[in-house]
Amino acid sequence: MAGPFLNTPPQPEDKGVMTAANIKAALAGESQASQKYLAFADVADNEGYPNVARLFRAVAYAESTHARNHLSVLGGIGSTADNLKAAWGGETFEIDEMYPAYDAVAEMQGNKSARTSIRYAFKAEMDHQGIYDSTLKGVEGKKDLSAVPARVCPVCGHTVIGDAPDECPQCGTVGVYFKEF
Amino acid sequence: MDEVFEKRLPKPEDLNAMTEESLKAAFAGESQAAEKYLVFAERADEDGYPNVAKLFRAISFAETRHARNHLRTMKGIHTTADNLRSAFAGESFEIDEMYPAYLEIAKVQSNTQAGRSIKYALKAEMDHKWMYAQSRETVLAGKDIEDKPVSVCLICGHTAIGDLPDKCPVCAAAKEYYRTF
Repeated sequence: MAGPFLNTPPQPEDKGVMTAANIKAALAGESQASQKYLAFADVADNEGYPNVARLFRAVAYAESTHARNHLSVLGGIGSTADNLKAAWGGETFEIDEMYPAYDAVAEMQGNKSARTSIRYAFKAEMDHQGIYDSTLKGVEGKKDLSAVPARVCPVCGHTVIGDAPDECPQCGTVGVYFKEF
Repeated sequence: MDEVFEKRLPKPEDLNAMTEESLKAAFAGESQAAEKYLVFAERADEDGYPNVAKLFRAISFAETRHARNHLRTMKGIHTTADNLRSAFAGESFEIDEMYPAYLEIAKVQSNTQAGRSIKYALKAEMDHKWMYAQSRETVLAGKDIEDKPVSVCLICGHTAIGDLPDKCPVCAAAKEYYRTF
């Protein structure tokens, strides 16, 4: 990152408690803006506004750079092994605490669509937790993953390493629509 | 393609207040996970783990699907004209309220890196605000915006439509370090 820049991305620093809280809130805000703009870009494409769609995607990327800068200031970017541990920790919280609690409330309140959205995420986070766990074991031994592609269901986020299933076991979407990475 | 997905996606729903709170929090969580994993992917590339980088990008995409599903269930995705208005309102809040307040506090607490991260974002949001305002006018007249590239500085998120500056006016990154959409 150094060299061509007079400036590099902001760096971690010891922060006042209020500033730390603010940068956390700003990370949440930028992340949500970025994700909203990506969803809005898809709508613009469907409505026949490809150049508006491009603007939304570009601005979503700009918000991603802000999210990265805030995350850097917060000291949230570590080595790949540390990042895998943090990612595993986040997935584990969502599986053990967050989504079961939210689902219980949505069930009590009879909000069916909300339950579908929660279930799709909850199931995929279990895929991610397992994949991060095995990946971390490799990286701790200085080994990269194999080059087998990961594939993701565009409806529910179900994630597999290797071939897509004939249809998604969570939501029934046909495997040909899975996105390959 | 969207008709194929439509029936499997969670539908917009009248939500009870507590379930809506849950989905808002879940949207914030998924959005931040998606953004963090993109940053972790860059780090994995730098650390020499290209396949781990690919995995982080795949799982980031999965979290983006969850964010979109939660947003859709909360009725947060509308027509492009309305999406541009809500995007404009979000940028305005950040420019008028959020970042100026955070910047004052960072100054009081002498947190210079936090201050830089805030200033970079604040400057870019000003670009975004007028781009969204102008785009909305055009879309309300039933037209797409002009077919011009949109470029984003990968350090600070400065956003330019059309020709690039020789260097970023906000953070002085060379123009080779813009990503063009």
